[in-house]
Amino acid sequence: MILPFTEDRDTGPFFAAARENRLVYAACEHCGRGSHPPAPFCSHCREPRSAWQEASGKGRLYSFTTVTHQIHPDYPAPYVLVVVTLDDNQDVRLIGRIDGDAALEIGQPMEVWFEQVADDVTLPQWRPASA
Amino acid sequence: MMEDLALAARDKCAIVGIGKTEYSKDSGRSTLALATEAARAAIADAGLSPDDIDGIVRCDMDRTMPVSVAAGLGLRRLHFWGETGPGGTAPSMMIGLAVAAVLSGQAKAVVVYRSLNGRSEDRFGSPSGPRARAGGFGSYDELYQPYGLLTPGQHFAMMAQRHMHEYGTKQEHLGAIAIACREAANRTPHAQMHDKPLTMEAYLASRPISLPLRLFDFCLESDGACAVVVTTTERARDLAKPPVTIRAVAGGQPSDTRAGMMFPALSRGDVTDIGGRQAAEELWRRAGLGPQDMDFAQLYDCFTISVLLQLEAFGFCRAGEGGPFAASGAIARGGSIPINTAGGNMSEGYMHGLNHFYEAVRQLRGEADNQVEGAQAGLVTSGLYPFGSAVVLGRNA
Ligand SMILES: [Zn+2]
Repeated sequence: MILPFTEDRDTGPFFAAARENRLVYAACEHCGRGSHPPAPFCSHCREPRSAWQEASGKGRLYSFTTVTHQIHPDYPAPYVLVVVTLDDNQDVRLIGRIDGDAALEIGQPMEVWFEQVADDVTLPQWRPASA
Repeated sequence: MMEDLALAARDKCAIVGIGKTEYSKDSGRSTLALATEAARAAIADAGLSPDDIDGIVRCDMDRTMPVSVAAGLGLRRLHFWGETGPGGTAPSMMIGLAVAAVLSGQAKAVVVYRSLNGRSEDRFGSPSGPRARAGGFGSYDELYQPYGLLTPGQHFAMMAQRHMHEYGTKQEHLGAIAIACREAANRTPHAQMHDKPLTMEAYLASRPISLPLRLFDFCLESDGACAVVVTTTERARDLAKPPVTIRAVAGGQPSDTRAGMMFPALSRGDVTDIGGRQAAEELWRRAGLGPQDMDFAQLYDCFTISVLLQLEAFGFCRAGEGGPFAASGAIARGGSIPINTAGGNMSEGYMHGLNHFYEAVRQLRGEADNQVEGAQAGLVTSGLYPFGSAVVLGRNA
């Protein structure tokens, strides 16, 4: 398992929240546009007022790929990588992984879940939303 | 109003020499040995000597340093060195740096090179064994790699999937691009895939890697080096080969720029929005030419989808129509805009796109293996993530 560096000054709070099973994203306090990756400045209105917002954990599938050629021993193929646009903020798209094969359709509702991958690391993951 | 120096710079510089090594799967040599061989060949091709070279430009992902290449070439008076990138975005901007150095008087003749052992030593996306934690320090890999998003191919697969969703692009459309590159390589003896024809049937049956991308949607992994020499067009007229002039250079950024190299681009408002769109707009203005004036296009081809997006971005067809356009035969030999006429990164060899300049110069000198008859002007593009850059070259202005 490739573990993330969780102490980065700009992205660390994403992982700190995930450890508490919370999903957060960065957005501009001035214009409301989201930043992902999280940035200390807003590239839309140029204000340096980025703040962490609580996300609902709901989103839509933007794209995906079924990985069939294994690259890393800790990520056995096949698996599906998903890109999910947050319902809360269309500027923010997050990555998730579904192990095995999965029949997915772009646009379908997705929901977050939290996968603890190490004592001190939890990843927000995504799966098709339950009805 | 300020004088537009970009227009004043039109055709003021030229590529006067080109050089390459063999492209292989295992060079058995260091990248410094490769870089030096390619640079020496380019200098000799121009009819110059290392004593004439006072500038070096490299790609920021190259393992060799300018100082090492200067030593390898036996340079005595180096006055300019520079580097740019990242990766596939570099080659056109490397030419731009060389032009900037020459026109500002910082160098008289600049060697531009790319060397890599991309198969035998540094394979993209290969597992790096026991490692420290991923990402941090502005790489943003911590947000992507822990999920198993590890390679450019997986990233471009999601772009392709989205393009298929939005525009109805089909697997066969991507296949047409792979086949156009392969057919060009089949006519080019030095191409790594020279002896390997590719049919649509074989393309569709090829091994899935990261769907919708298959084996033949990917570029090659190659060992080798390639180099060109840039000087003024005035000086070029006295040299060994007909000058190929640099008519315009431009870079561009996507409309929704995100920090980071590649994976963060998945958050762009439109993931198919590439820096090439803006680069194209500025490039055509600076060149005073348009896509309809190009006799060929060497399009950066890390993947088939990259070519498709650039056909749209550079105006050869409208947004969303890259698939049917590619399948129409327009990009093949004899079509309205033959692409990657030596096979490109997909079938010639992966010199990270600098090989596209080598081939473009051969076309405009009339010395290509797969010659476009009477070629007068051509486009070379470099990359699409995170930025894009491109050059228009012309014949002996
Ligand atoms: Zn803002």
